[in-house]
Amino acid sequence: MILNRTTSGGRWRIRPDGPDKVTGKLAYLTDMSREGMLIGRVLRSPHPHAGIVAIHTDNARKIPGVHAVITHADVPGLNRFGIVNPDQPVLCEDRVRFIGDAVAAVAAETPELAALALESIEVEYVLLPVVDDPVQAQSKLSPKLHPGGNVLHRTQYGEGKVEKEFSGCKHIVEETYMTPRQMHTYMETEGGLFIPEEGGRLTVYSPTQHGYKDRMQLARILGLPEFNIRVVSSPIGGSFGGKDELNVQPYGALLALVTGKPVKIHHSRWESVRAGLKRHPMTIKMRTGVDGEGRILAHRVSIIADTGAYATLGAEVLNFCVEHVIGPYRYESVEVEGVSVYTNNGVSGEFRGFGGNQAIFALEGQMDRLAERLGMDPWEFRLLNMRKPEDPGPLGQEIVRTDGAKQVWDALAVNPLWLQRQETSKSEHWIRRGTGAAFVMHGSGLGFGIPDPAGGMLALAADGKIEAIFGYEEFGQGLIATLELMLIEQFGFGADDVRIVIGDTDLVPHSGSSTASRATGMMWKSLQKLRGPFLNRLLKEASSLLSIPTESLRVGIGGIWNDTQDHLLLTYGQLAQGATEEIIYQTHFPFPASPTKRIGAHYLYTYAAVAVQVEVNMLTGRVKLLKQVHAVAAGPVMNPQGFLGQIEGGSGMAVGFALTEDSDMDKGVYLTRNLDTYLIPSWADLNGEIEVQAIEDLPEGDEHGPRGVGEIGSVGIAPAIAEAVYQATGKRLNKLPIDPELLQEVPEFLTKAVDGR
Amino acid sequence: MASEHENMLMSMSPSVLHPRDMTEAWTFKKLLDSDAVYVAGGTLLRTQWESGQAAMPKHLIDLSSIPGLKGIEKEEHSLAIGALTPLSECRKDEHIRLHCPMLVDAIRSIAAISVRNVATIGGNIVSRVGDCLPVFIVCQADFEWNTGLSPMTEDASEWTERLQAQLPKASHLLTRIHLPLFKTTEIVPRRFGAFHKVGRREAFTPSLITVALNGGLKADGTVGEIRVAAGGGQTIPHRLFAAEKLMKGQQINRELLAAVHQTIVDGYKPKPDPFATEAYRKKTAANLIVAELWKIAAGPSDEGRERDDP
Repeated sequence: MILNRTTSGGRWRIRPDGPDKVTGKLAYLTDMSREGMLIGRVLRSPHPHAGIVAIHTDNARKIPGVHAVITHADVPGLNRFGIVNPDQPVLCEDRVRFIGDAVAAVAAETPELAALALESIEVEYVLLPVVDDPVQAQSKLSPKLHPGGNVLHRTQYGEGKVEKEFSGCKHIVEETYMTPRQMHTYMETEGGLFIPEEGGRLTVYSPTQHGYKDRMQLARILGLPEFNIRVVSSPIGGSFGGKDELNVQPYGALLALVTGKPVKIHHSRWESVRAGLKRHPMTIKMRTGVDGEGRILAHRVSIIADTGAYATLGAEVLNFCVEHVIGPYRYESVEVEGVSVYTNNGVSGEFRGFGGNQAIFALEGQMDRLAERLGMDPWEFRLLNMRKPEDPGPLGQEIVRTDGAKQVWDALAVNPLWLQRQETSKSEHWIRRGTGAAFVMHGSGLGFGIPDPAGGMLALAADGKIEAIFGYEEFGQGLIATLELMLIEQFGFGADDVRIVIGDTDLVPHSGSSTASRATGMMWKSLQKLRGPFLNRLLKEASSLLSIPTESLRVGIGGIWNDTQDHLLLTYGQLAQGATEEIIYQTHFPFPASPTKRIGAHYLYTYAAVAVQVEVNMLTGRVKLLKQVHAVAAGPVMNPQGFLGQIEGGSGMAVGFALTEDSDMDKGVYLTRNLDTYLIPSWADLNGEIEVQAIEDLPEGDEHGPRGVGEIGSVGIAPAIAEAVYQATGKRLNKLPIDPELLQEVPEFLTKAVDGR
Repeated sequence: MASEHENMLMSMSPSVLHPRDMTEAWTFKKLLDSDAVYVAGGTLLRTQWESGQAAMPKHLIDLSSIPGLKGIEKEEHSLAIGALTPLSECRKDEHIRLHCPMLVDAIRSIAAISVRNVATIGGNIVSRVGDCLPVFIVCQADFEWNTGLSPMTEDASEWTERLQAQLPKASHLLTRIHLPLFKTTEIVPRRFGAFHKVGRREAFTPSLITVALNGGLKADGTVGEIRVAAGGGQTIPHRLFAAEKLMKGQQINRELLAAVHQTIVDGYKPKPDPFATEAYRKKTAANLIVAELWKIAAGPSDEGRERDDP
């Protein structure tokens, strides 16, 4: 089904948080303030790599109105953070490893005083050589950034005998692909309000994708029991993976506890760019060979990821990339090795697509190059080598069987944009058009071996509201709207009957993180498990109150109805008042994982086929995206507007990844320090047509329901654009974002004359 | 100690002066010298202060309350544009739309709507790198300045040429732009003009290359008059005299355009930044200009190639 307002009919609903967001009425957590609050600021290293000799804070402490100046000596617990591998200092002791590294923090009565306090702190540094190249960082001569050396993580996967298979190949394509240091560029920069409460508790109002994980990390830093900390984390003005790791929380929390006053911290865009995470820049070398019929015999891949100064999820991103450079195809033999390397280049971490974007850019580039060598249609070539539904996953692991791969392949094969790809109407000689396509298999969930809990609660509150209580976060993806629609459609409640409770560790259960395209699927699964017991209980309580057998009662809008649904017999408010005891049901289960024991290997996959049409202006070399089609097989669509929003939004980020975005660095220093030089696509760059086709069928008996779509829209666009550019210009590109200079040509009408001179 | 801190805090926020007329503004600037800057819309200045490219001065001289510097009037041979007219007002002005559509194109390419509502045409000029400047250069606009003594008028091209060598007097205050109205004549029956800006995205982008050209063809198809200018990024726009000279009096054909292309590549001197190479800027400027000329002229139809309608 092509998803749009018309085809969605009554399911096309204005999201509950929409009007307040578009009018600016909604208060984000970083809009909050409290009387008597102090302003927190962090002093960050001006050097990408230096030793700290001394930190002098006396002058700053003496300024009236400055309530606290803290350094590493003031961290009561573990002076480190990191979701999996805590190796990043909250406040650096003796060394700084990137230009955003935190050295001290202050709390003052005004922003001006806080700025003055920062200026008054003197730090004596000894400059150390900057490690800015992940290849050189691995050499013995390179300075070691961490005690264990500069390799954060190394991993490999192999099957068959690659060297032997290459010798039998008819064609071999070898290419090195490079991808940019993309920034999440969320609208709301990092920040929060930190309030010390009575009884030694601390309330943290600060965006994150996983409130409980922040609570755990903060407890570790503050040396407090976890239950002494309450993390309120939604609504969030965008995250895209960038706020999953801690950012300002340690400083706000420490300053609030030290001063005993509420403290607010909110990054400027400048500070956000400097301190925030980025997508891992990767260099992916691929050598892939086929036989005369086009079957892939050998695929050898080497991945180098620049993980920057600290680990955060660098190892996990690399694992994901290793799995996805193998992706949806069958190989006689495959050999992949990957390394994630520490450098002084900022910090790379989690970002929508999680290493898949880099992997698929390279893998699909190989597919197009091989098809061309073979003289085959590139789409037919993909089908020839595609994994069959009964096949194992990329790492040889057992996966949940679906027909998604073939379904999206078929959908694109008959799409008019793809069928008419040879038609190249153009307005000027120097405008050239081309169409390219890419195929994506994207895993959801955290993967085998990583704790991946899920769950939720349903309750009838005292005021008669049906409460859906989940530990997931709303960061713009439409989680609230999707959950509401599920409750309406699957339970029969009215929109006014339900209250969604999320983003508060004092109220919600452990549901795992809102990452890895997992939240919608896990809410669906939770509701499936809760539906029977919860509805039965409502009917049972109603039955005893009304003295009518449950068989004659129905759950509906506003309350309990008679079986023909023409009389409302009992409102939910009355039911709540009359119930014998609290009506509350909870479920807890792990995200489904493959029985194959390979760390990080995925079990559930979403499939997508993407085609784009571009126009290249040969005078300037600039690429404009005209049309795009996405066919996505992700099971039933829970919320059409949300589904469409995820694909369109993901695509927008991918257009930036392909055409404009890169955090340029020179010797560990950002050259793009604000949004006037770091350019995300504007409306004018994204105003081409987008068609999203949702393929909802799942095999009979499938018990996993909707698959994730949060990331997949951001994966296939870049390779499709690269191929479309090749079709338009005859120029193969291996580096993103695309450099217009490589495409630009002297106008054709001059060439002859120029040559003839 | 406290007073020292207070002084430091004070220095972080400047005082704002509100002169009632140009003489007062000029006097403030003369007296306070480098401790003060003129501010009109302030849209560019605030980005420079924020990035540390320019220090926040002690005093800001707010020009916005000076009467008579806003609005567009049609005079007999020119349009008089007040320097404090917001860009968005210029873009919507019926006279500018009719007589100088390429200025409208230029304004449309600058920043975004909300910025253009505040930013002024005068600010775009005195920034020395504004995207309107190439248009004013090729359209032979005159800039009228308040120098404190008598008003001074200078051709846009001469002004930018002088800027290549030295900074303008900081106290001089741009008051008005006189934009000539070009008409077709018997000698030059066909006029043409074009503006192009290339950035790193489609809108709300700093320029890498901005070019403008304006001229007329004689009845025999030879170039009667022509001005070509290029700028972009931190490059102060300048006229491409050598290219103009090559074209004057010539039929536009393949050979001429090839020579013009080479001359622009040789003669255009862009300032570097990390976001595009010098070679790209030169080639883009040359490509855009010759492609425009190709469209404008009859084109070398002797080669059997159909010409696109402009």
